[in-house]
Amino acid sequence: MVTVRLFGMTKMLAGNQGTLSLALHDGKRVKDLVAVIEAAYPKIGELLQKKKVLVSVNQDIAHEDLEVRDGDEIALLPPFAGGSDGC
Amino acid sequence: MSLEQVTKPDQPVIDDEAMLVRVQREDFSIDEELRRVRARSKRIGGIAIFLGTARDRSKGKDVDGITFEHYEGMAQKKLREIRERALNDFGIIELLILHRYGEIGIGDNIVLIIAGAEHRAEAFQACKWAIDELKQITPIWKLEHTPDGEVWVEEHP
Repeated sequence: MVTVRLFGMTKMLAGNQGTLSLALHDGKRVKDLVAVIEAAYPKIGELLQKKKVLVSVNQDIAHEDLEVRDGDEIALLPPFAGGSDGC
Repeated sequence: MSLEQVTKPDQPVIDDEAMLVRVQREDFSIDEELRRVRARSKRIGGIAIFLGTARDRSKGKDVDGITFEHYEGMAQKKLREIRERALNDFGIIELLILHRYGEIGIGDNIVLIIAGAEHRAEAFQACKWAIDELKQITPIWKLEHTPDGEVWVEEHP
């Protein structure tokens, strides 16, 4: 099982859950994790496909071929909106 | 001799570098943060400040308030990266970055960048680059509260 942290709109799309616990059966790469999320949460899957939501592993944006290891800190990052826009 | 007697009140306080990059819920004092930057070096001769505050309009709609959410750990890591790059690439002496999270009222402070350099040109450049970069790479999200409901803001123009 891997734990995935959710923020902003991804948290909202997952019914306001702060984390997801997911079992990876078919492969342990980021793209395999994305496939599991797509199946369970199609709306988040759509944003992942469009690269509007990015996957981070250990606080860095992860490539889809990166292998996920036990204990890795994984998160789904919706588009950033720091500061006050337009300022 | 007690610690109070050793530390003279008129001595500049040399802050830990952690104080120069912060994500915090509480409001901040611009004067206090400015003092923090000035205390870093007497070579500073030009200081540029950017302050971002909460507007009551967004894309033509009223906004009643804003909530900022951040990724604890990664947000601080990215802000430290921005400070390091600004110090290396712009020849400035110090850069302070502070961002608030949680509920922010209209008109309240959100984000503060202070760039201290020998001269104004580097200070202005580094300050502008830092706020632009912050919006691109820092995992902070904005929820606007409007009369029609709550909206997660996606764009960062």
